[in-house]
Formats: sequence, C-alpha cells, structure tokens
Amino acid sequence: MKVVTGVVGNDIHVVANRLIEISLKERGFEVFNLGVNTYLEEFIDAVIETDADVLLISSLNGEAEGWCRDLFLYKQRFNFDKVTFVIGGNLGVGETKAEDIIPKYKSYGFDLVFHQIDLNEGLDILEKYLKEKRS
Amino acid sequence: MSKLLIDVGSTYFKICDNGNIEQYFRNFDKDISDDLMDTCAPIIKKYKKEDIKICSSANGGLSTLIIGLTESFSIRYAKHIAYNAGINIIDTVLYPKIEEYTPPFEILDVVIIVGGIDNRAKIFDEKLIEYLKNVKYRNIVYVGGKNDIEFLKKRVPEIKVFKNIIDNRLQINEEELKEYLTNLYQEDIVGREDIKHLYKITANQIYPTPYVVNKALPFVREKLNAVDPFIVIDIGGATTDIHYSRDLVDENVVMESEYDRLVFKKLGVYKSRENLIFSAKNNEFVYELLNYLNVTENIFEENSKESLKILMQLAIFLVLYKVSKYHELYIDLKLERLKSIVITGGIVKVLTKEDIEAILDFFYKKILKHHLIPSIVIDKNYEIWTIGMTKGIQ
Repeated sequence: MKVVTGVVGNDIHVVANRLIEISLKERGFEVFNLGVNTYLEEFIDAVIETDADVLLISSLNGEAEGWCRDLFLYKQRFNFDKVTFVIGGNLGVGETKAEDIIPKYKSYGFDLVFHQIDLNEGLDILEKYLKEKRS
Repeated sequence: MSKLLIDVGSTYFKICDNGNIEQYFRNFDKDISDDLMDTCAPIIKKYKKEDIKICSSANGGLSTLIIGLTESFSIRYAKHIAYNAGINIIDTVLYPKIEEYTPPFEILDVVIIVGGIDNRAKIFDEKLIEYLKNVKYRNIVYVGGKNDIEFLKKRVPEIKVFKNIIDNRLQINEEELKEYLTNLYQEDIVGREDIKHLYKITANQIYPTPYVVNKALPFVREKLNAVDPFIVIDIGGATTDIHYSRDLVDENVVMESEYDRLVFKKLGVYKSRENLIFSAKNNEFVYELLNYLNVTENIFEENSKESLKILMQLAIFLVLYKVSKYHELYIDLKLERLKSIVITGGIVKVLTKEDIEAILDFFYKKILKHHLIPSIVIDKNYEIWTIGMTKGIQ
C-alpha cells in the first residue's frame, strides 16, 4: 500500500518525520515522504500523482489546525473515496484535550486523528482501519 | 587560439573578441548574418569557424503547452525543465479540469503531457484526446507514468515518449526532456532563415542565450562576488529574465539544478517598451515611485536618456514586485532572505549602482518593509554570458 507522508506547514520536526517513514516501511508500506515544511496542496497533489491509499500528515508544533482546515475542499474537488486521511502528533496549541481536538479534525475531513498518541499505537490502529476498509 | 563569442539579441549584437566586449545595435532592414558581417567582418575574419561560438535569443523562443496531472509536481517539474532549456512561452492545463480549458488558437511548437509516477494506474483517457483534437501543434511529447504509454501511442501516433520526469520518489528527472527541448529550441533557431546563415561563420552549435546564462550561474558566486542566495535579473530589449537561487523558494521539491528561471516575456525596454509602460501604469505603487525618483508620468511619453533610465528602473521594480509575496500570479520568492542582486543585460550600460540602489531602497523599505537591502552586483562586462559561453557549453 502507498502512503504519502510529511510534516505540515512551518514545522521542521525532521526526526519525527524520519521515524514515521522508517516505521511505515517496516510495516511494508511504500512510502513517499515529502519531508518537513509541506503545504496541504502538495500533500494532495502527491496523493494524486502516486495514487496513494493513505495520506498521513504529522504535526508537532500545533500548526496543523491552520494548515489543514481546507482538506474538505480538496475532498469535494477530487475523488478520494479510496484514500484514508490520517493526521497525528501534537495537534493543538497549549493545553488541549483529545475530546475537543479529534472532532475538529474529523470535521476537516480526516478519517483517523491521533492526538498525542504513541507512533506505533497509531500505526496499529491505521492498519486495523485499512483492513476493515478493504473487507 | 582564443574563441570569438557572439550573442545575437533582439536589439543588439554583443561580441567578445579576446576578452574585449563590444556591442552594436542591430539593423532590422538587414539579414542577421549580413548585418553582423557589415559591422564586424574584420574581427570575424580573424577566427576559424571552429573558434566562433554563437548564442541567440533573437528568435523569441518556442511556444509550449504543458498538460499535467497536478500543479505541485507534473506541471511544476515540466515548467522548470522547459524554462531551463531556454523556452520562453508556457501555458498550462491542469488535466483533471481539462474540460474547463479553451484550447489555444495559435500553432504551438510543443505540447508536453505529464502525470504520475511509473507504478501508478492509468491517468489519461478520451478527455485528453478530445482536447487535443482542437489543439494545433508541431511536436508532442509524453513524459509521464509508464501505464499510459500504450494508450497514448495508439491514440496519438505522432507522440514522442521520454523517461518519466517524476521518479518513484516523486523527485524530478530532468535529463531526457531537457535534452529534447534544448534540441528543439536549437532546431528552431537553426530552422530560421536568418539564423541559418550564421552557420556560414561558425562550425559550433548555436545555443539559446538563456540556456547559456543558466549554465553560468554556478560560477557567479566565485567570479562576481555574489553571495548566496542571489538572483540574476537580465533586462533585455524584449524580455526580462530572472534566474533565482532555489534557496529563495519555500518548497520541498528536490531539483538537480540549484537555479530556476522565470521569464517576463513582455517586459523589455526597447521592443516591449509599450508593454512595460502599460504594466507600470497598472501598478499601484508606480506613481509613488515616480515621485520618489523626482519625475512625473510624462516621462513615459519622452524619448530621452532620462526616460530610458527611468524605464529600466521601473523594469527592476516591476520584476521584484511580480516575484514578491504581493503578487500571486508568479512565484513567491523570499526576497527578505536575498543577499545579492546581480544585474546583467543591456541595462548595465545605462544604470549606475546608485540608480539601482534607489529602486531597491524604495522596494525593500516601502513594499517589503524591510530595512536591509541586498548587495548589488553589476555585471558590467557581461561576465555571466562570457562564463556561460566558455565554461557552461562545450
């Protein structure tokens, strides 16, 4: 399965980005890593160019909220029925609770939202989700 | 023996004879070759055909249409390759929305179709074929994913296929398309009757001038004391080219070349003078700028040394404005990061460092609200061109 990943906006957390790439590859995914400082439009275009199954955006400085809220517009514009949209990391600025953050990102169009969750735990959930989606 | 270097521009010839550069205004009543021989025969006759190298920007460039799957990859990569191969005129069509585009009326020199990595499912279908039925072109080339090749070869038999410009890591693969476009540009130059005659005096290939300049850029830091990141603004008679260091762009795309090129095709001070004035009059800051330069808009009606100087200053201002964050149509260069501005082209014979400084001062302080202006490097002796001709091309 193909996964496009990268860090959104003015966020330069390279180490986390690299760990995500390595972990995805270890689980057998074909990974297209756009790296840090990536804009939403580039993520979307990479999904189209590669025909990816998953878009996994990460964000550690809480900026994702500003950068990702137009996801639903892209989902209206293109047919992404087979694509799973995932976001994870530290998704809010300051003291934030998962029960507030998760519905917000789901309303932007993400299928899975991992706020302050361990990477491997998140990837386990993703794999389970993809298995269920396929069946 | 040293080489004789000749640049045929839209407005003048430039000749470098043993390190000494002279320029001559072209006589448009004469064929280029006759004009050149009438003016410089004694110099040309000193050299063997093998020792004469010529480049030309006088043909206006090829018209190109890029049909690509996305803006961020297919279209961006193809544009990058085309500009750096010397092509000037580019239109684009975003393939998923192709039905919303009206095909161009004029005959295009080349259509480039691109989209997808190699191991992606098919992209192109009858929508493309329908669109192409209404496009008139001389050449058509496909540089996208493997799985569309069979379909395209069957439905567009004249199509040439080259290696995908998007590799399997989503990075750019320039070589084959760049070589094809450079050759096409050269064939176009060679095919023009007046340029064809220039082969009577040279045994070497005639290159497009922007290609030569692009090849010189890696040497600019060292030879001209420019500090990275820098831009080169080449203001000519018909067009203005800007070559910029890729450090000035916020994007993740990894390119082989460190530099990109953007062309403003109707922003020159001689052939495109009217367009330059039109563009200036439509800029919201220009009247303030004229005031700052102590002139009025009547300067546009004048035909004097002073008006030429003001037009050149305006050209610098407009180019910077068009590539800044205030103008969304073109690229957004991070001009605050800029360390040097290198000015080349005919403009360097007219403007002094102070004239350029005045414009940069206005632009940086008034528009960017930034108090440090980049260092100005004036390529007085056309070193960029000379380096490109001697070191850049074989």
